[in-house]
Amino acid sequence: MRLGLDILNIKDVQFAGKTSLGGGVLSINRRELQGLLQEDRRLSRVEIELAHPGDKCRILQVADVIEPRAKTRGSGHDFAGTLGGQGNVGEGSTCGLRGAAVVMGGGSAFLKDPIGGLIDMSGPAAEIGIYGKTHNIVVLPYPSAGIDLPDYAKALKIAGLRTAVYLAKAGEGLKPDENEVYDLPPLTEVAKGMGKLPKVAYIFAVLSTKHEPITGEPILYGSNIDRTLPTVIHPNEVLDGAIISPYRAAGMETYVIQNHPIITELYRRHGKDLCFTGVIITTAPDSEYEYERAATMVANMAKRIFGADGVVLNKTGMGAEEIVPARTAERCEELGVRTAYAMFLHGADQSDAGSGADTLFNMRGVDAIVNMGTTYMKHKLPAVDRIIGDPVSLPGGIPVNGNIEVTVAAIKGALSQLGHSRITAVRH
Amino acid sequence: MQTRVIRVVHYLNQFFGGVGGENKADVGPQVRNGPVGPGRALQSALGGEGEVVATVICGDNYFAEKMEEASGEVIRLLSSCRADVLIAGPAFDAGRYGIACGAVCKAAENKLGIPAVTGMHEENPGVDLFSRNVYIVKTGETVAGMAEAISRMAGMALKLANDQDVGRPSEGGYFSRGLLVNVMAEKTGAERVVSMLLAKLAGEPFEPEVTLPKYDRIEPAPRIKDIRSATIALVTDGGLVPKGNPDRIEQRHATRFGAYSINLVDPLNRDGYEVNHGGYDAVFVNEDPNRLLPVDVMRDLEKEGVIGKLHDTFYSTSGLASVVKSSEKMGKGIAEQLKAGGVSGAILTST
Repeated sequence: MRLGLDILNIKDVQFAGKTSLGGGVLSINRRELQGLLQEDRRLSRVEIELAHPGDKCRILQVADVIEPRAKTRGSGHDFAGTLGGQGNVGEGSTCGLRGAAVVMGGGSAFLKDPIGGLIDMSGPAAEIGIYGKTHNIVVLPYPSAGIDLPDYAKALKIAGLRTAVYLAKAGEGLKPDENEVYDLPPLTEVAKGMGKLPKVAYIFAVLSTKHEPITGEPILYGSNIDRTLPTVIHPNEVLDGAIISPYRAAGMETYVIQNHPIITELYRRHGKDLCFTGVIITTAPDSEYEYERAATMVANMAKRIFGADGVVLNKTGMGAEEIVPARTAERCEELGVRTAYAMFLHGADQSDAGSGADTLFNMRGVDAIVNMGTTYMKHKLPAVDRIIGDPVSLPGGIPVNGNIEVTVAAIKGALSQLGHSRITAVRH
Repeated sequence: MQTRVIRVVHYLNQFFGGVGGENKADVGPQVRNGPVGPGRALQSALGGEGEVVATVICGDNYFAEKMEEASGEVIRLLSSCRADVLIAGPAFDAGRYGIACGAVCKAAENKLGIPAVTGMHEENPGVDLFSRNVYIVKTGETVAGMAEAISRMAGMALKLANDQDVGRPSEGGYFSRGLLVNVMAEKTGAERVVSMLLAKLAGEPFEPEVTLPKYDRIEPAPRIKDIRSATIALVTDGGLVPKGNPDRIEQRHATRFGAYSINLVDPLNRDGYEVNHGGYDAVFVNEDPNRLLPVDVMRDLEKEGVIGKLHDTFYSTSGLASVVKSSEKMGKGIAEQLKAGGVSGAILTST
């Protein structure tokens, strides 16, 4: 399967009379886009704002971030299963606007913390998070009266994805600035000509079911996957819109899934240092029976179907879920499949000088672990001139546009479950 | 951004502060403008980046005899100096002085919210007492190590005051606080995890980036000989507490557990309890606390004679992002109380 990603680099975004792209400047007809999104009766109205790198601006209650992408006519479906019907993704070509991002507001329905999901366009949060460096088109949908959470959840995602497609269509027919090619043949052929390179598969944990999943939330081809068994998927499907970030998946925005750092790294080293055999998607179930079953099935797939010598694993969710990939890795190791596991530290002893442990598990053979930072690190953020989102007050009446202190986990795009960040934690 | 000059306050004992020797060890806290004694070397180590605006001096005995009070007085003096950072000592191997330095640094961080740094020799009792709370740079045993200690403390204080990374303990020359702190690696997590897998596959050495926990092996208790005469207790980490959480058990990183009477209670009434736990959806338990702590079922079993008796107290804490050491301590505490209460079996319900 071969996917060509035509990249157009965006240097600026502005509102204008007509939606178009030229000289790296994306112009948006605000009213036209609003009209398109307001066709959805589940939403009473939709506001659209722009935020640029360097602005003294703070965006709050961010539910998701999406890179503008549109399939080239005739080469498949945009976000198949979620926007309209099922159809091909991962083949042909897709146009992507790099340097721009659709930021979905309205996340307060899904967040415990009123300022959770924060993006600062300047200052320290913009330095460590990736979305302070993109030109952001912020979409703020308001639910219609009487709409329940599942319907709102669906409408919110659809508004974001429609915006992403609408914007990327402006790049259709233009000469791309860059072209990325992702080409991986079927399993039966993938190892041809690869000599003795180790065969590596990727085990992608997508959803945690620790919290009750939201009914109807589009995750895999439009459906919720809370009862999904481990499934084989082509890496190009992941990159091309088959998987949308679950609302409660910390550190895993759709934007990062579209540019999946582990998948693109495995592609980069394919044919040089390793033979990339494919992706298994799985979940972090909340019962031992289910996660033992998932771990066993994944290990069998990796060993006996993919013939993998090694696998890379990530986790999803926060603390307790880190056990699931660890147990999966242990089952792989038992079958002779070597493992490496990337995780951020949420269940760790945060302040133990003596025996401070960084994980909740210690399993046989599960020793190659990459630490992607602690979620509890605090950051002081300076006051801003402008707030996009609900301007809540913090405990103690501190205004949210003032000098505030937040944990790194509240900054969207700082920590990553999928490895885009360079953050790592050390013991001081 | 314009670089500001960091306002440093220096804490010294009576000896280094030039008040006098052991005979002056009971003088109370007092403040002097500018640097005093080793403060002059400190000023030159700070260069133009920081200014020792004041020195607070307190006798070692005065501080040791009434730590709470003395520390409060020092904090009041510090806050009047509008300090950005506190530097205390170095205390080398002087025990009372080390403890005072550790205590004022801890209070400066907790009460005034300003960073603080001190310096001690590894055998100073202040290291054991305060190295988890404050940054303590490693010094020699005696004043012979003054120049090096001052230079390290100055460097560290400037970094802390400017919110810069102080580096790992080995790089910064300080005693580990055990604190997890984020820094930037050279490569992304994705690049590192793929490289680590390739190294492992090739049989090459690789450096895991985490410390794994070491678990104690607990010998299981002997089985209950006659369950029909046994007293069975209920224990939970699901955070069930009487309304209002009277023992103020923490929602996460709990260090305390509660013991609550259920004498004659049958079953738990939802009006009397609530869930104090941030890690799971507590709707069902708030509706019917018996679904977390099955008092109703246990009472049935008691009536049916399946068990001897339900213990008249239940034990509860919140098991969320718990620190292993705290959990061990709570576990031991609960086990001791169960044993003293003549309990021969316990059912632990978790979430």
